[in-house]
Amino acid sequence: MSEHGRPTGDDRSLPSNPASNPASNPDVGDCPVRSARPGRRTFLRGVVGLGAAGAAGTAVGIADVHSAHAASQSSATQTDVAGPADPQGRLAPVPFQGVHQAGILPPSQRQTIAMAFDVVAGNRGELADLLQTLTQRCRFLTSGGIPTPAGATGPPSDSGILGPTVVPDGLTVVVGMGASLFDGRFGLASRRPAHLTAMTPFPNDNLDPAQSGGDLSVQLSAGSADTLLHALRDITRHTRGGMQLRWRMDGFASPPRPSGTPRNLLGFKDGIANPDTASATEMSQLVWVRAGTSGEPGWTVGGSYLVIRLIRMFVEFWDRVSITEQENMIGRARDTGAPLDANSEFATPDYAADPDGAVIPLDAHIRLANPRTSQTSANQILRRAYNYDRGMDVVGNLDQGLIFTCYQQNIKRQFETVQTRLIDEPLVDYVSPFGGGYFFAVPGILDSGDYYGRALLP
Amino acid sequence: MVDPSNGAVYAQVEGIGPGTTRSMPVDVGSGEYAFTCTGQDYGIRNGPVVQVPGKAGGGTAVLVLDQDQQNSITTRARAYVASGLAALVAQTAALVTDIRTGNLSAARVAWLTAHLTWERLGSAYGMFGSYDDAIDGLPFGVAGGVSAPGFTGFYRLEYGLWHGQSSAELSGPASQLGVQVRALQTAWPSIELPPTLAVGDLALRTHEILEDAMQNQLSGLDDFGSGTTLATFAAGIDATRAQLGILRPLLASRYPQTAALFSSLNQLQRLIDAEKTSHGWTSARDLSSPQRERLDAAAGQTVELLSPIPVIFEQERPIP
Repeated sequence: MSEHGRPTGDDRSLPSNPASNPASNPDVGDCPVRSARPGRRTFLRGVVGLGAAGAAGTAVGIADVHSAHAASQSSATQTDVAGPADPQGRLAPVPFQGVHQAGILPPSQRQTIAMAFDVVAGNRGELADLLQTLTQRCRFLTSGGIPTPAGATGPPSDSGILGPTVVPDGLTVVVGMGASLFDGRFGLASRRPAHLTAMTPFPNDNLDPAQSGGDLSVQLSAGSADTLLHALRDITRHTRGGMQLRWRMDGFASPPRPSGTPRNLLGFKDGIANPDTASATEMSQLVWVRAGTSGEPGWTVGGSYLVIRLIRMFVEFWDRVSITEQENMIGRARDTGAPLDANSEFATPDYAADPDGAVIPLDAHIRLANPRTSQTSANQILRRAYNYDRGMDVVGNLDQGLIFTCYQQNIKRQFETVQTRLIDEPLVDYVSPFGGGYFFAVPGILDSGDYYGRALLP
Repeated sequence: MVDPSNGAVYAQVEGIGPGTTRSMPVDVGSGEYAFTCTGQDYGIRNGPVVQVPGKAGGGTAVLVLDQDQQNSITTRARAYVASGLAALVAQTAALVTDIRTGNLSAARVAWLTAHLTWERLGSAYGMFGSYDDAIDGLPFGVAGGVSAPGFTGFYRLEYGLWHGQSSAELSGPASQLGVQVRALQTAWPSIELPPTLAVGDLALRTHEILEDAMQNQLSGLDDFGSGTTLATFAAGIDATRAQLGILRPLLASRYPQTAALFSSLNQLQRLIDAEKTSHGWTSARDLSSPQRERLDAAAGQTVELLSPIPVIFEQERPIP
């Protein structure tokens, strides 16, 4: 729901205006100065960013540049995570190893499963076994291959959902740890990441404990739903004794309609403004926990705080609201995604020129979420949203909404600050956050002997 | 595909139709291999021995049982069921008497005792043929549900005993149960499988008893009022242990995870035993979410570790 973009804007289509671009403000020390680029160039920059993060490497190919350029002037569509698809539409593997987890920086893929598990392992040794098994399965699932035949020694080692050879299909995994993992059970209390707590309930939330929290979060993303269900079945089969599913939500990212940023189920383009994942400087200021950060245990370096919010949308009600009211609540035009004071999706709203909210209301979602001032630049989050649709509720309404996820260096400084500004925004009548949690996405897998959380469990 | 030195099986495909091609994935390491085929219209035919050079690791082969081993397992399995049936007949008779004489609180105790003995027999895969339904059938999928005249057996009595039905209402179904149980005891020798089939059947049930018990008892699905499905689940563990005990002399040399399996089963046992208190068994629907997660984890892990056993003894099922 939120649009927590960088105050420098992602002005992809207009010439840079130094006078109105906050990036040129010398007070904004955290933000690298860069000029606006046309669509093709910004797309390529996004691709380079993936490679630099160890997420896509050389798998990103030219074919995708054409399709993405033709489809969109956006910096990234969900199709460019893993490079070109094969003739069956399967995506290439995303390299599993890296300083950071490979699933964090890439744009939203077509399909996702967000879920949390409760750890049932009885002690620290069993927890380490669990995390090693999880790592081993994710390593295989993301790279693909032929499962070891069981022969006459047991039932098939693989569910077969993807056929005899497991295809990676761009599968990425993000594993996070919840605050509850750092209670007394495993003797980890003194190693809890400094800002990791249970999820703070905000005034308009309606959090269901059964759909919130959890010791471990696992988010799987890939090009197709069957790829994810295969991975889910494989992971749960190998970890039954160590962890049990607590909650789960399946989601999808829509293709560009007709171009640009994918739309959410309110019909609006969602996530237009985001920090620049190609900028290592920006990522180190906004996303990654850095070495030497005061209060952070050493093992957290290279990790990132993850907020997951499951947000129901009251779509029947929303569809009965006038377009003017809808657009004023969001602050953007529904058809184009442009801020109401501009003509292009990627234009930067000029709030200074509209101090009374005559064009973009003062309580519009984009204006509260991202006021685009130098004071708010450090609040930006890296946001990755997915739509969900899970049938209907018990009183007959469609159960649709958003899996909001965001990554940041510090939940208080970033997500909670932004969310506090959004308290009581007009949009709250149409949405209801009901689940999710705060997690710490652990550092990446460095080599073949590494596993999730190894530095935490010496 | 076998190890020609001892006939141990690497992998097998059953029922290949004439002119058809089937795949048989095998992890082939260094060593000797041969194909052997058994057909309906001919005996065993062996292919040439193929040597794979080098020192590469591969899949492991499973030793086939000899006739003596089959006979010994079958004898023990029969003895287990026969002694269980004798206990069941006596306990069911006591239950019938309690119901007829109107001693319904004693009947509720007797019902659980007899029902757990039934569960411990480890009936799965229709081991007792039509007796399974008559003795332990469910009212699902029947018009009238719990009121249907065709609903008989233990669950029928449970429903009545825990829903205020009278001795008069329950005497008919109780007598029917007594008759069925005695008839089963009489019929059992003629239902028993020959040794060649009995081992494979035992191996299947070693896994499936607990799958059934998880689906229907641990979940609370088969609770018709007594809230004792966790007791029934515990009896399912007993039954699984009994089958495992019969197979155990042959298991360790064929199944590398045997120790892990017993460790998982012990963990499950500890958790389920903790649900029996001085006030009786916890009802499955009263399990807290952490309790349920711990039980699901231990039960899930256990059935994963049980699931190779039917495959390991699959070659004991001759081609039909």
